[in-house]
Amino acid sequence: MFKEKTSKLTKGSIAYFTGGSGRPLIHLHGASGVRPNAGLEALAESVTLYMPVLPGFDGTSGIDGVASMETLADLVADFIDKEIGEAVDVLGLSFGGWLGAWLAVRHPSKVGQLCLENPAGFRPDSMAAPSSDPELRKQQMYAYPDRLPPETKSEDVLAKNRAMLGHYHGKTSFDADLAAQLSKIECLTLIMHGTRDGRVPEEAVQLLKRDIPRSHLIYIYDAAHSLETDQPARFAHLVSDFMERAEAFLVNQGPAGDRPQQVL
Amino acid sequence: MRFSYTHHMPYTGVSNAGQDWPVSNKQFDPQLGVKLFERYIADKIYAEQAGFDWIGSNEHHFSPYGMMPNPNLVGAVVANRTTRAGILQSGNIVPISNPIRIAEEYAMLDVMSGGRLVAGFMRGIPHEYVAYNVAPDESYGRMHEAIELIKKAWSSPEPFGWEGEFYQFRAVSIWPRPVQQPYPRILMSASSDASAMLAAEVGASAGFLRIVDFESTRHQIQVYRDRAKAWGWIPTADDVMIGLNCCIAPTYEEAKEILESGQKYFFGVLGGGIRTAQKLVIQKTRYFKDAGAADKFKKKTAIQREVSFDERVERGLLVCGTPEMAIDQIRRVHRELGNGRMNLSIKIGNIADHHVTRTLDYLRDIVFPAVRSLGEYTDPAQAAE
Repeated sequence: MFKEKTSKLTKGSIAYFTGGSGRPLIHLHGASGVRPNAGLEALAESVTLYMPVLPGFDGTSGIDGVASMETLADLVADFIDKEIGEAVDVLGLSFGGWLGAWLAVRHPSKVGQLCLENPAGFRPDSMAAPSSDPELRKQQMYAYPDRLPPETKSEDVLAKNRAMLGHYHGKTSFDADLAAQLSKIECLTLIMHGTRDGRVPEEAVQLLKRDIPRSHLIYIYDAAHSLETDQPARFAHLVSDFMERAEAFLVNQGPAGDRPQQVL
Repeated sequence: MRFSYTHHMPYTGVSNAGQDWPVSNKQFDPQLGVKLFERYIADKIYAEQAGFDWIGSNEHHFSPYGMMPNPNLVGAVVANRTTRAGILQSGNIVPISNPIRIAEEYAMLDVMSGGRLVAGFMRGIPHEYVAYNVAPDESYGRMHEAIELIKKAWSSPEPFGWEGEFYQFRAVSIWPRPVQQPYPRILMSASSDASAMLAAEVGASAGFLRIVDFESTRHQIQVYRDRAKAWGWIPTADDVMIGLNCCIAPTYEEAKEILESGQKYFFGVLGGGIRTAQKLVIQKTRYFKDAGAADKFKKKTAIQREVSFDERVERGLLVCGTPEMAIDQIRRVHRELGNGRMNLSIKIGNIADHHVTRTLDYLRDIVFPAVRSLGEYTDPAQAAE
């Protein structure tokens, strides 16, 4: 359902996947790279997804001069200019949510509405780092591992993906520079948190809700870190409703709310 | 040992309520209702003076079994007219209600009582699902999700929304917030394996009500304790509450006559329509998670018919007799089960209110002073060795 394309940007080229039908939505991936799944496929029924492969992920090369969250956000802004040409809604998962917040701070004119899915980068330093034990990590990531799509990436690619996180943000778990600027985010923002997320703490999403002026925090029940695969229907319904109706998504639409509505 | 006083607030103006479900309310005399409410609430207030630690109210629908479809209304009155006792709501029936409404009303009770709320989360008995037209099959799923949502509503400092299987809210920020932070003490029934495990997961104190025998109750307590340990906490004796019917009189014979008659009225007159609906729910739905739990429920209801009153006393399933007998009976339950709390139901069926008052007086003057020191937790497994 998603086609791979190439985008030629000022600093270099990147790959991206696109597909779906409706208004454009940029999806910024997490540590696993671009990973189509049931949640994204359901979402693509109401939006056209653009999913850039961030430099160095999924076997791609890095780009000179892009080695921080800030410069990576600048690169995404360039991608928006080249492929969309106007402000666009942005959805970021975990590492991608962190990046989405930087994008909204540095390039407010490029972002329409912002969705942060279990965003990384705001774990208080006083809290213990998430476990690296593979079995525990799996529990923290997935409430329903059986709902994951079959793995198509090699161990080597996945390991390099994880290494790229350090390339962009070092060992930072709490991005104090970004946290100090959250109040600059002007766009309407949806923060989503899985009630079983073992990777991003409650404190992090509470901080985001507190400091981003026009934000809404919504818990996705019975989902861990991987919202898109743990609860694909809830994820897709919520995001599409938020994108379509903006602040009005607070209002119950009755039976009409079961399907995407056109904003009049 | 700490004691809880639960009063079902039955409607006692019927002599034959029939077996139909729901029970027709044409038999309800509102003027008698006025008098009963006045008396029952006075009894609850008096229970605090008699030394009870918690005053309990609970929720039932569509029958003379109890006149408290919303126990929070009664809890509010009790909170206003007492100063010390915990306001035990045992409870709101979570799966058939709006969880945000429960969070709000419980928070109100906690504030109105100065932080005395004990928040009961109950799954209810089967017929309540017919009354409120909620699928019994969804009982456990709704219970689990609603409790997480209520705890979030009590504790989240920021407004939040909820996208769940049964509940969706886009923006929640309850006023008032509870006095007890992050949230009030929670009490849940733990009478089946599934409910004991859920109580442990929630971090709730556990109520074991209408027990059938010590052996199976010990098993339930152990399930609760083992599961709590797996979730990283250790329940104390104070977290284990055993529920028993109670009647105290100058002689065993008199206490027996009063309690047996009250129970006969309770099950025979007040409980008929309820049983009709319960049978339907249990036979036609997956209200219980497994056949074992369903059998246990049937066993509990059957024991009233199959086991004689004297035998129930012998088994330790009733507190009945003279004050000295009651002391021994309470000590025996504690010795067998290691509980630190006991819920005593005294107004059973149509037991005369002056007999209720007399039992309260015996408890205050003779029984409570003799058993207050009980409650240092003893592991049931060690006690059995």
